[in-house]
Amino acid sequence: MSSNNQTTVIVRTVVRSVVPIIVLVAIGLLLQGHNFPGGGFIGGVLTVTAFALVYITYGAEYLSQNLLGISDGSVARRETQDVLDPDEAFFSGTVGRYSAVFGLGLALAAGGGLGAIAFGEPFLSQAVLYFDHIPVFGVIELASALIFDLGVYFVVVGSLLTILAVVGNE
Amino acid sequence: MTEVVLAIVLGALYALGTFLVLRRDVVRVVWGVTIISQATNVYLVTMGGIHGSIPIVSHGGGGHHAVTDPLVQALVLTAIVIGFGTTALALVLTYRLYQEHGTLDLQELATTEESQ
Amino acid sequence: MQPDSAVLLAVLAIPFVGAALVPLVHRVLGERTAYYAATIAALCSGLLISQYERWGTVTVEWIPALDVSLVLYLDGLAFLIGLLASGIGVLVFIYSGGYMHGEPGQAKYYTTLLVFMGSMLGVALVVDLLSLFVFWELTSVASFLLIGHYQRADRSLYASRKAMFITVSGGLFMLIGFLLLGHISSFVLDGSTFTLIGTEQSLIGIPGEVTHAEAIRHELVERGLFVPVIGLIAIGAATKSAQIPFHIWLPDAMEAPTPVSAFLHSATMVKAGVYLIGRFRPLFVPEHVFAAEVWTWLFVGLGLATMTIAAMLAVSATDIKELLAYSTASHLGLIVAGFGFAETVGAETGAFHILNHAAFKATLFLVAGIIAHEAGTRSIDALGGLRHDMPIVAAITAVASLSMAGIPPFNGFYSKELLFDAAWETAHHFGGLTWLLPVVAVFGSIFTFLYSIRFLWLFFGDRPTELGEIHRPPLAMLLPAGVLAIIVLVLSLGAAPIAHDFVNPIVKSSLIATPEGYHFSVHLPHALKPPVLMSVVTIAGGIAMYPFYDRLHHGIRRLRSIALLSPNQYYDRGITGIAHVSDVVPRYVQTDLMRTYAAVVMSAVSVFALGGYLLGGTGTDLTEAVSGVNLALPITIILAVAVVGALAVDRAPSHIAGVLTLSILGFTVAVFYVLASAPDLALTQLVIETLVLVLFLLVLDRLPAFYGELRRGRAILDGLIASGVGLTVTITVLVTTAADPSDGIAHFFVEKAPVPAEHGTLITDAGGGNNIVNVILVDFRALDTMGEISVVAMAALAILTLIGMRNRGERA
Repeated sequence: MSSNNQTTVIVRTVVRSVVPIIVLVAIGLLLQGHNFPGGGFIGGVLTVTAFALVYITYGAEYLSQNLLGISDGSVARRETQDVLDPDEAFFSGTVGRYSAVFGLGLALAAGGGLGAIAFGEPFLSQAVLYFDHIPVFGVIELASALIFDLGVYFVVVGSLLTILAVVGNE
Repeated sequence: MTEVVLAIVLGALYALGTFLVLRRDVVRVVWGVTIISQATNVYLVTMGGIHGSIPIVSHGGGGHHAVTDPLVQALVLTAIVIGFGTTALALVLTYRLYQEHGTLDLQELATTEESQ
Repeated sequence: MQPDSAVLLAVLAIPFVGAALVPLVHRVLGERTAYYAATIAALCSGLLISQYERWGTVTVEWIPALDVSLVLYLDGLAFLIGLLASGIGVLVFIYSGGYMHGEPGQAKYYTTLLVFMGSMLGVALVVDLLSLFVFWELTSVASFLLIGHYQRADRSLYASRKAMFITVSGGLFMLIGFLLLGHISSFVLDGSTFTLIGTEQSLIGIPGEVTHAEAIRHELVERGLFVPVIGLIAIGAATKSAQIPFHIWLPDAMEAPTPVSAFLHSATMVKAGVYLIGRFRPLFVPEHVFAAEVWTWLFVGLGLATMTIAAMLAVSATDIKELLAYSTASHLGLIVAGFGFAETVGAETGAFHILNHAAFKATLFLVAGIIAHEAGTRSIDALGGLRHDMPIVAAITAVASLSMAGIPPFNGFYSKELLFDAAWETAHHFGGLTWLLPVVAVFGSIFTFLYSIRFLWLFFGDRPTELGEIHRPPLAMLLPAGVLAIIVLVLSLGAAPIAHDFVNPIVKSSLIATPEGYHFSVHLPHALKPPVLMSVVTIAGGIAMYPFYDRLHHGIRRLRSIALLSPNQYYDRGITGIAHVSDVVPRYVQTDLMRTYAAVVMSAVSVFALGGYLLGGTGTDLTEAVSGVNLALPITIILAVAVVGALAVDRAPSHIAGVLTLSILGFTVAVFYVLASAPDLALTQLVIETLVLVLFLLVLDRLPAFYGELRRGRAILDGLIASGVGLTVTITVLVTTAADPSDGIAHFFVEKAPVPAEHGTLITDAGGGNNIVNVILVDFRALDTMGEISVVAMAALAILTLIGMRNRGERA
């Protein structure tokens, strides 16, 4: 969408305060997924909506430059097209970062699975470390599945953001 | 347990989706596919039983008398996210189609292909 | 003594490995790759010979979980075919070194020939019917590539397509036969098997120990599959072994380089069909009978018809390779007829003639190659008096063609005698019309005599003046032909001991049980028995008719030109017809309209599903199952809203309106998930729906407000199709929800997912989480999830490519 957005002050203010909460909830959902509703998929899509909200109210440039701190080729793509190779600009910019995220996610998920092989278990076997009677916390549960879930999370975030960014940049 | 209401609803959703898939406008075809995939997800969840309790159980495996089938839910959960991916792909294809051919009319596309 | 499994596997593997290395070797050795290939063939035959008389079975586990294993079985027949493939392979490779000198595409040529050799060894050694089928079709593919070696020539393309089409489709018929046999076996043995012979659990059993053949035959007859199974296997064998009327591919296959013709189309590949018949013979031919029902009449009829007609066609040939091709079909007919006779002497005919024919026919093909190579023509009329230029070749030809003619004391005589014996005995036993069998056999043999002498006559008589200078053939070409001729001589002079020691186990392979004290033996006749008399008639008739050879030649050519009698005409017309159909059908099926495809697919699915319910009688108990509305009110209301939403999408006047109403549907589905106790789904659906809405709006922003007018007629038609689909879905949901399957899988996950009541610090066997859905996703079915996130990533990549790289193709 164009940068001269016509969103109202109300929307801008609400988004400003809501986005951190969404991201917090998303991470919460991701972490508690093993025992309560949530998980990598849900956490991922919720995170993407937070980005989408910023994008809709403040525009793509604000999102990438002010929020993510990427001096971008892809947003200013139209302007630089004559000077720069458009493809290179396209992939070195925000979109490139986003697609790196889902690459990271796939690597995490697969790498976590490979870890199981090191312990002589089949690919992608998961284990849980369970500590009872810990002071203050009571019970601590550490699931290796969290690594895999993180991978899922990053893939979802990266892919969906890539899609939105590519389509939005048009 | 026979789900009469769901049967009728799913039948209606499939019929409406199919009708859209048969249209000339590509965007409508995408909608049709979306509706059909939504209906399919609902059907799968229905098959897992909708009268049980949520598939979250306490430690020690207690209290799992009548949970809904968690396997179909896991299946549908990924299906929803993948559904987004495919819808997005379909939309981008639609957009590229329009860029290349200047039309969204499948009928017109077919005739121009032939005349070429 | 059992064969060594490592050695047998090596015999199978070496040709394929060798073939894979050919491109590299060719870069280093160039034309001398021929000798590399010959070394590989020699290695295979050496390994095979090391296993001689170690008859038995080797089972190699392949996919133990599915009970699939590679069963190799070595007996006389398998050994013979394997030895032909590798032994003649050595000679053919050496010969190729001379023949292919300066020809293009040598790397491809040697690769394919080695692959062929490996596949042929597979056909010989493997007795698991499914693996056998794979190797069988591999030989067809290799033959296709080799016939089409000269890719620029139309005739060679036509010939390779024809061979492929006929042999591969025949192979498919055979496969159906195999599948039927596998199905039948499950009623006789415990569990179905595709192993033909050599194990406890096989169709025939272990010869001399276990036999299931009788029970299998009985079961086949019971189920009315006896005739179909034999017929299907016969089609496979007949197409491969060029039996009437499928023989038409063989003469065309002579477009291949001559070493290929000698190797594939006379000595080995075409032997696969007769090998199959010999292999299956113990299953279908019981002990102590004069004629096995169906089997005898089918194969004797097929074999004798082919033998006679192909021999006549050979007389009408104008090209030396064409003559040899028809002659090959004719001799294969003789082998088929031999295996067809139910008495022991039938098996003797088939087994012995496979060996004899391979020896003399390969020799003659190599000679034909030498003639074509040195004289520059293959036309029979243009050749003559070659003995002056090539005396050694003339001697070689004399040995081989006299053997082919069946003149004593050459080896061809013995197997022909055995055929006459079998025909005579059967006719003697049954009387009546069966007396035609010996008559036809003699009649066909006279023509065999005629063309054999005609081929030999290329070296005698006058030398046509227009025939140019003829060089001596190179040693690489002369040597293999000479070796083969010596083999023919050895087989001829040593017929008695060879039959006694070497051929005896081959004969036994085609017998269900060997009679007490039986031993195969041949000897020159010393009394005037009927078969001897038949041979005398054959030779005398041949000599009497030879002066009229030209008249016969032209007469048969005239018969051949009658379109009605020519299988080639039917083949060509059939192919044109198929091409025409595949030209017409797409005009109606492939309209380039999404509408057509979707309508056809969805209506077809509906019709089949509804038809299935009708046939299965599902409708009757459905009315009982529908016991009334049992759904809570909130869910009903939400679902009603969903339908209204979808209806609004259908009737949306603009794209924006459609997208918004589509969201109504999406959000109500999310609420449905809440009510259906699926919190994870509800959360995901809710968020995804938001994103879909954003995405749609972003894209629609750039699309025109097109929605195409709706014509009444089309709307009604589409409405009907849509209603049909809807009805099918409704009934399907009713049927499936009425069923009450055991919830074993769900139960497993519910049990295993949470932290168990008693556990240590490290939990590996349980999921260790309370949210079962998530535990399934990240633990039990993590590999599936892995695949699914890859799909999501793939979608993102595809979109990246579609938009980000759209200019790349045009700029490059």
